[in-house]
Amino acid sequence: MKIFKSLSSGALRSLRSWKGVLIIWFFSLILISVFVIPMKGTMRTGFGSSMITERLRDGLDIEVISDLGPYLASLASYFFSGFFFVIFLGILLNTFFAGGLFQSIKGSKDIISVPCFFRASARYFWYFLGLYFMIIFMIIFFAFLIVGLPVGLTLQSGTPGPMTFIIGIIAVLVFSMAEVIFLLVADYARAWLVSSEKPAFFKALGFGFSETFGHFASSFPMMLILMVIQLLFGALVILVIRSWTPVTGGGVFLLFITTQILFYIKTLLKAWRFGSVTSLKETNKNIVPPNPPGGAL
Amino acid sequence: MKKKVMPFVVLLTFAGSLHSQIINKEPLSPRITGYNIDVKLDTAAKTVSGTMKAFWVNTSSGTVPDIQLHMYMNAFRSRNSTLYKESGGSPGKKDLDLGWINISSFTDGNGTDLMPLIHYIHPDDANSADSTVLQVILPKPARPGDTVFINVDFETKLPSRIRRTGFSGEYFFVAQWFPKFGVYEPSGMRQRSQSGWNCHQFHVNSEFYANHSVYDVKITLPERYVVGSGGMLINESVADSNLKTLTLRAEDIVDFAWTAWPGYKVFTDKWEHVSITLLLPEARVKQVDRQFTAVKNALEYLTKNVGPFPWPHLTFVDPPTIGSGASGMEYTTLFTSMSADRMPEWMHMGEMVTVHEFGHAYFMGILASNEFEEPWMDEGINSFWEARIMDHYYGENSGLMDYRYLKIPDKAYSRLTYTKSDNRQVVSNNEYSWNYPHGTYGMMSYNKAATWLYSLMGVIGEKTTNEVFREYYRKWAFRHPSGKDFVNVVNEVVTKTYGDKFGADMNWFFDETLYGTGICDYRVSNLINKKLPSEKKMQENDSLSKGLPLNDSLYKAVVQMERLGEVMLPVDVLVHFKNGDEILENWDGKARYKDFTYLGHGKIEWVKIDPEYKNRMDVNFINNSRTEDPDRVLIRRFADKLIFLMQLYISAITL
Ligand SMILES: [Zn+2]
Repeated sequence: MKIFKSLSSGALRSLRSWKGVLIIWFFSLILISVFVIPMKGTMRTGFGSSMITERLRDGLDIEVISDLGPYLASLASYFFSGFFFVIFLGILLNTFFAGGLFQSIKGSKDIISVPCFFRASARYFWYFLGLYFMIIFMIIFFAFLIVGLPVGLTLQSGTPGPMTFIIGIIAVLVFSMAEVIFLLVADYARAWLVSSEKPAFFKALGFGFSETFGHFASSFPMMLILMVIQLLFGALVILVIRSWTPVTGGGVFLLFITTQILFYIKTLLKAWRFGSVTSLKETNKNIVPPNPPGGAL
Repeated sequence: MKKKVMPFVVLLTFAGSLHSQIINKEPLSPRITGYNIDVKLDTAAKTVSGTMKAFWVNTSSGTVPDIQLHMYMNAFRSRNSTLYKESGGSPGKKDLDLGWINISSFTDGNGTDLMPLIHYIHPDDANSADSTVLQVILPKPARPGDTVFINVDFETKLPSRIRRTGFSGEYFFVAQWFPKFGVYEPSGMRQRSQSGWNCHQFHVNSEFYANHSVYDVKITLPERYVVGSGGMLINESVADSNLKTLTLRAEDIVDFAWTAWPGYKVFTDKWEHVSITLLLPEARVKQVDRQFTAVKNALEYLTKNVGPFPWPHLTFVDPPTIGSGASGMEYTTLFTSMSADRMPEWMHMGEMVTVHEFGHAYFMGILASNEFEEPWMDEGINSFWEARIMDHYYGENSGLMDYRYLKIPDKAYSRLTYTKSDNRQVVSNNEYSWNYPHGTYGMMSYNKAATWLYSLMGVIGEKTTNEVFREYYRKWAFRHPSGKDFVNVVNEVVTKTYGDKFGADMNWFFDETLYGTGICDYRVSNLINKKLPSEKKMQENDSLSKGLPLNDSLYKAVVQMERLGEVMLPVDVLVHFKNGDEILENWDGKARYKDFTYLGHGKIEWVKIDPEYKNRMDVNFINNSRTEDPDRVLIRRFADKLIFLMQLYISAITL
C-alpha cells in the first residue's frame, strides 16, 4: 500500500514540477543543438544542390556517404572530438538541474518559482556532482565484478558455449538488481540533501544506504516498478522513432515536435521517480526502522 | 644400353597414361607439360617427399637450350628470399618453421644425370639469395617438337607460417610444392617478340602462371587424415602401418594443390554435371548450405554468361582458424574460401570469398593469363564477376552486407577502395604484380580494374559485355591470353554490335582506364533558368525565340557541366523540366566544359549526369547532379533523431 501511495504522490509531485522539467528539456535541447547544427551545416554543404540524397531514402548508402570525401572526414572528426565533451556537459547540466528538481518535488504543495529552481540547483550542485561520480564509480566497479569477471573467466577457460551465455544472463540480472539499489541510494541521498538544514555529503550517502536497506521491502519493489516503466517507455520510444522515416518537410517537423514531447515525458518520468522516493522518505521519517543498520545515523 | 632402355620404356608408358583421357573424353588443352608424382607426407617432419616424372614439349619453331622450373618452396628458406625481402617479415627462426625443396636426383629421359647442369637463376631482381627458379641446361637442346622428360627425386619441407602453403600442427595445405615447369612462350604468344621462358620468382604480391597440364598424383599419408585436392580420386588403398595411398588425377588444370587434416568434415553436393565436395571444420558445419548455395550461384552465372565449367569435379575448403593462411586461394578444381565460426546471415563474406575463388577457375584457370605480369586479368576481371554474381544473387544493394539500414553492395566495395585511395594515380593498371609501388597491388589489380570493367559495361551495355566474355572464352579457353588479346576481343565484339558508334575500336577506353593513370569526375556546375524579355520585345529583337510559342513563361534554360578529371568517357545526361518534360542527352564527355541550352520547355528542375550510375570510374557521384530544390529532409531527419537519441542517452546516464 505504501508503495502505491508513494507512487501516486510521486506522480502528483512530478506534475507539480512541470516548470523545472521544462527548463531541463530546454537546456538539453539547446546544448545538443549547438553540437548537432554545425554537423547539419557540413552535410548541407557537402551534398550541395545534389540529387544524390534520394539514394539515402531507404537507409545508409555507403557510396554516397563515402563520396562526401573531405566533408565526411571533417564530420567524423568533429563528431568524435565533440561527442564526449557534449556528453560531459550534459551530465553536468542534468546534475545541476537535479537539485532544482528535487527541491520542487519535496514536501510543500506549492509550485516553486523559476528563480527558486535555479537557486536550489546551484546550492546542491557540488553535493549532487560528488554523489553522481561516487555512485557511477560503484556501478562501474560492480559491473566489472558481477558481469565482467564471471563472463571473462568462463570465456578464458574455453570457447564460448551455452554456459557462458547462461552465466552472462544471470550476471546481467544480478547487476540490474544492484543498479536498482544504487539508484535508490542516490535518490534517497539527494532527497535527504534538499530537505536537511545542514547538507553534508557523506551524511547524505550514509542516509541513502541506511534508508535503502532499512526500508528495503518497500523501496526496492517501488524502484523496480519505476525502472521497468522507464525501460518500457524508452524501448517503445526508440522502436517508434527508428521506424518513423518521414520524407516531407512537414513530416520531419512533426517528428521533431514528437521527439521533443517524448523527451519531456521522459524527464517527467524521472521526476516521478524522484518524487516517489522523496514521498517514501517523508513517510518513512515517522516510522522507526525495524533494525537500524549499524547505527550509521 | 639396357640401363638407358629401361627408363625410356617407363617414360613411354607414363607419357601414354598422360595422353589418355580419364576425366574428360577429349583433351581440353594441348599437352605441353604433364606430371606424375608419387609422394609421402611425413606428418612429424612436415615434409612431402618422393619422385616426379614430368615432361615438357617444345612447341616453338626454334631450338631451346634449357628448361626452367619453379622451386616456389625455397621462398621460405630464409628471410633473404625475394618473398621475404618484399614482405619484410621472416619465415621463422626454428628449423621446423622454414620451408624448402631439395632435389636429390635429377635425370633426363635417357637416364642422364642432370644434377651438374642445374643452377638457380634470378630473372626478376638479381637477388642471389633467392632460389625459386631453377634452370637446367639440357645436354642436347630441345628441337621443335621434342619432348623433354625429367625424373626428379625431391623432398619438400612445408613452412610453419602458412602463406597459401604450409602446416599448422596437424593441418597441412600443400601448394607450390613440386618442381614445376615455367611457361615457354614462342614468339607471338602474348605479344612476345622473341621466344623464351616465362618463369618468375616467388613474390609476395604475385600469383602464378603455368601451362594446362595433366596430373597423376599418388599421396601416402596416415589413414586418419582427410584429404582434399584438385584431382579426382581414382583409387584409395591401405598401405602398411596405418597409412593409406590416394591416387588422384587431374586434367587441364594449371596447378595441383592438396590439403590434409584429421579435423575436416566432408560434404558433397551436385550441380548439373559437377560433383562438389566441401571440406570444413566441425565449428562451421552450419554454413554448409550457404557455401554450397554460393558456389552453385557462381557456377550458374558464369556458365550462363561466360561459358561452361568443363570439369565434372570441384572441391573447396573452408580452412579452420589454424590454417587461415591458406584461405582465399584458387587452384581451379580446388579452391579455399574464408569464413569464421560464427558468420551472421546478413554478412556475406564467406559467400563472397567462395564466389571469388571459384571465379578464378575461369579467370586464370580456363583463361590462363599470366598472373605475374598482368594481375588485372585474373584479379580484376574476376572481382568484376564476383561483384556481379554477389549483387545478382544477394541483392543489388546488399551483395556484401544486408543489415537493416546498412546495406553494402559488392560493387561499391571495389569502387570505393579504388576511388578513395590516395594512391589511385601513382601507377597504371598495366604493371607486373610485384612492381606496384606504395602497396597499390591489391587496390589496382582487384579494385580499379573491376571498377573500369563496370564503366565499360556502362558504355557498351550488359548484353554486349556478356557477349565479350563469351567470345573471350570461345577464343581463349585453355590458352594464354594477354591483356591486348582481351582488348582485341572487346574491339571485335563491340564493332560487330555497334559498328563505329564508339569509334573504329575501343582502344581509347583502355588507354584511359587500363593504361592511363587519370581519374574520372564529371560535375554539373550550374543550372540557369533565364526568363526571356516580354512578348513584344522578343518579337522585335530576339532571333533565338523566333517561331516559338509566345507566352510570359518562356525561359532560356542552360545546363553547365564540367569534366574535372583526365578520363573522358561518354555519359548520359538526363534533364528534367518543371513542366515534367525530360530529355536524355548523350555527351561524349570529351570537352572540359559543356553546355546544353533549351528553349520552350520552361525551367529546368534538375539534371543528372549518368543518372543510372553506370560510370563507376567517376570518383564523386555527389557532384553528378544538381537541382533547383535540394531535398534537405533527410539531413533534418537525421539531425532530429540524433538530437533526440543524445538527449535520451545523457538522461539515462545521469541517474
Ligand atoms: Zn583472386
